[in-house]
Amino acid sequence: MLFNSIDFAIFLPIVFLLYWFVANKNLKLQNFLIVAASYLFYGWWDWRFLSLILFSTVIDYNIGRKLRIEENQTNRIILLWTSILVNLGFLGFFKYYNFFLDNFITAFSFFGTEIKVNSLNIILPVGISFYTFQTLSYTIDIYKRKLEPTKDFISFSAFVSFFPQLVAGPIERATHLLPQFYIKRTFVYSKAVDGMRQILWGLFKKIVIADNCAEYANLIFNNSTDYSGSTLVIGAIFFTFQIYGDFSGYSDIAIGTTRLFGFDLKQNFNFPYFSRDIAEFWRRWHISLSTWFRDYLYIPLGGSRGGTLMKVRNTFIIFIVSGFWHGANWSFVVWGTLNAIYFLPLLLTNKNRNHIDIVAKGKLLPSFKELLLMLLTFILIVFAWIFFRAENIGHAFSYISSIISPSLLSTPYIIEAGTGRPILPKTILLLIGIFVFIEWLGRDGQYAIEKFVLKWPKYLRWTFYCLMVVGIFLYSGQKQDFIYFQF
Amino acid sequence: MKRFIFKTVLISIITLSLILVIMSRADGHTDAFYIRFTTPKQQSMILGTSRAAQGLQPTVFEQILKKDINNFSFTVSHSPFGKVYFESIKRKHNKKAGGLFIISVDPWSISSQCSLPNNLSQFRENQFCLNKTKIVNLNPNFFYIFSNLSGKYKNLLFQRHTNMFLHKNGWLEISNIKMDSNSVAARVKRKLETYRNTNLPKTKFSSTRLQYLIKTINYLKEYGDVYLVRLPIHENMMEIEKDLMIDFDLMINEAIKLSDGYLDMTPQNSLYNYTDGNHLHKYSGKKVSKIIAKWILDNNKFI
Repeated sequence: MLFNSIDFAIFLPIVFLLYWFVANKNLKLQNFLIVAASYLFYGWWDWRFLSLILFSTVIDYNIGRKLRIEENQTNRIILLWTSILVNLGFLGFFKYYNFFLDNFITAFSFFGTEIKVNSLNIILPVGISFYTFQTLSYTIDIYKRKLEPTKDFISFSAFVSFFPQLVAGPIERATHLLPQFYIKRTFVYSKAVDGMRQILWGLFKKIVIADNCAEYANLIFNNSTDYSGSTLVIGAIFFTFQIYGDFSGYSDIAIGTTRLFGFDLKQNFNFPYFSRDIAEFWRRWHISLSTWFRDYLYIPLGGSRGGTLMKVRNTFIIFIVSGFWHGANWSFVVWGTLNAIYFLPLLLTNKNRNHIDIVAKGKLLPSFKELLLMLLTFILIVFAWIFFRAENIGHAFSYISSIISPSLLSTPYIIEAGTGRPILPKTILLLIGIFVFIEWLGRDGQYAIEKFVLKWPKYLRWTFYCLMVVGIFLYSGQKQDFIYFQF
Repeated sequence: MKRFIFKTVLISIITLSLILVIMSRADGHTDAFYIRFTTPKQQSMILGTSRAAQGLQPTVFEQILKKDINNFSFTVSHSPFGKVYFESIKRKHNKKAGGLFIISVDPWSISSQCSLPNNLSQFRENQFCLNKTKIVNLNPNFFYIFSNLSGKYKNLLFQRHTNMFLHKNGWLEISNIKMDSNSVAARVKRKLETYRNTNLPKTKFSSTRLQYLIKTINYLKEYGDVYLVRLPIHENMMEIEKDLMIDFDLMINEAIKLSDGYLDMTPQNSLYNYTDGNHLHKYSGKKVSKIIAKWILDNNKFI
């Protein structure tokens, strides 16, 4: 079920009413309702893969319980690795099997040996990368004795399958989310209103910004040889806003939805395109994944505590693995590597924590230096996204080489689908402008319209909400799947 | 909680009302199909592809035959004969006896542009409005708007008038189009190139589509008279059609026999004007509609 669908618009109020009016007296019943609703939500897409979630849930629940009583270190390690292998095994099979097979065949043919192995027609279960990491964090935290395993199977099932964040995150830690299932939730008006506001902003990001940008980004990337360098730059910028609107929009809807049910999830995007360097960008982009890799990969590898060589090695590992997490394609690996290259100079010169606070805090406009740094960082990000969006590495390089040409200085235009006329999509450029402006105004909040709207009188606030809903309807783009579903 | 629900419901009502007002602005300028899904169920219908949609004018038939008739024709992509069109016709039909049905036929409407021309699942109309809109007589038709105008809702509020206007009776009028010989020749050339180089190589006769044409006639025969017509087209377009199906009349022989009459107007191709070689200009369309109406009136079935 998609957040931006009629199905979800019907599903959410029904679950909400059942949750607060029917199941509100009994915590177990509330948690059970969440599990049932989550399985329905996921099964709406493909019920066959519910078995995978259930299997992961049962395995990790039992391993967690056993880890608690097991004192023998060898046995504890075996239990931990069983969980890791089962979870990553599923992920590896569904997501990476064909990739490794193809590369294996290519590698052998390079040395003159032709091998014939048929690739499998595997459907990637939606959200497998997200819930796998979420359950892994549970087992690892118990192994490290940072978390007590739960005795409540329903709560654990609800933690693994919680529908708002099941298919595209945020990847919540068991230490943060699981305890929320143990305590009775009470309805808090301000929290619910805040949740609705965040959902509204998320829908705007997804339906208006991401879907409209997707239309043109797809047009340009899919026909990149037909376009001038300047148009290709516009295409990369459209994709930059598409992926941000799409993914952070999803996160906003997810977080907002959980607030309606009395939960709190952590912020997943913190206005990343206002970053002044790449290190700051990675502290603000997909925070739940970055911190997951930091805590469960980077730090166990030694983090930045060792010598220069170790720092370099660990940085490359974390970024390359992060790239590979996104998809079974070398272009994602290059994207990760590129970000490591961007990041490394900051780390080696100890400048990676130069920009911790929000840019131009308390001011309406940034300083010239801040503006320049933001612009430079943005250009680096846009450049890296080309690898992320391209079909393969070859496509990315040909895209970039077409940008670096005399046509970079020509007037950009897009061939309109249907009419074949050359146009510049002014409306979407204007919408992006308005979007960036609102994000800038609200950059000190959890999401852009969290705080400043509250300063307005009630009638203005209501008008704003109504106009936003109507605006979302009027300026909705062609419906697109959420990009991160494929990860 | 009550306050939250009350405010949520109130804000939903306000915004939905605003959206409803915007939706109600949808009209004949919205697109080439919408209005046909907003009119009541019909007793008499003109059926076919865009040739019929643009060429056959219900007002002319109404004047001569003294019978209300609605044009429920779409395009060769949307409404070639098949399951999708058949089901939609049934939905649009009011199941009352005494109807009149004029079905425009041509080789393209019983052919498919897919690798397996008889495989229903490959038919391209599956993804278009006739298949996506199950309710065909609602005004404003939210179902149509939501499923077919995605990404174009702003056009409802800020309508751009094009040279197309879809009348309430289903006739698609094309106006303000240059009809000087050079402009027409250029459009005809483009259309012929598309049909010759792009469409013809991909198009194959579909026995499934022919069966659905027969099925459609059988169904409609229960409720009234069914006439088949083949509309005139540009001479060069006719050559392409001959390359696609030289023995078209023979191919649809069973359908002709089932019907109450078949009028092939292609022998008079040179008598009419076309906007692009494939579609009759509206003045020629009026003449052709008059001829067909009189033919039906005179029951002059076999020319």
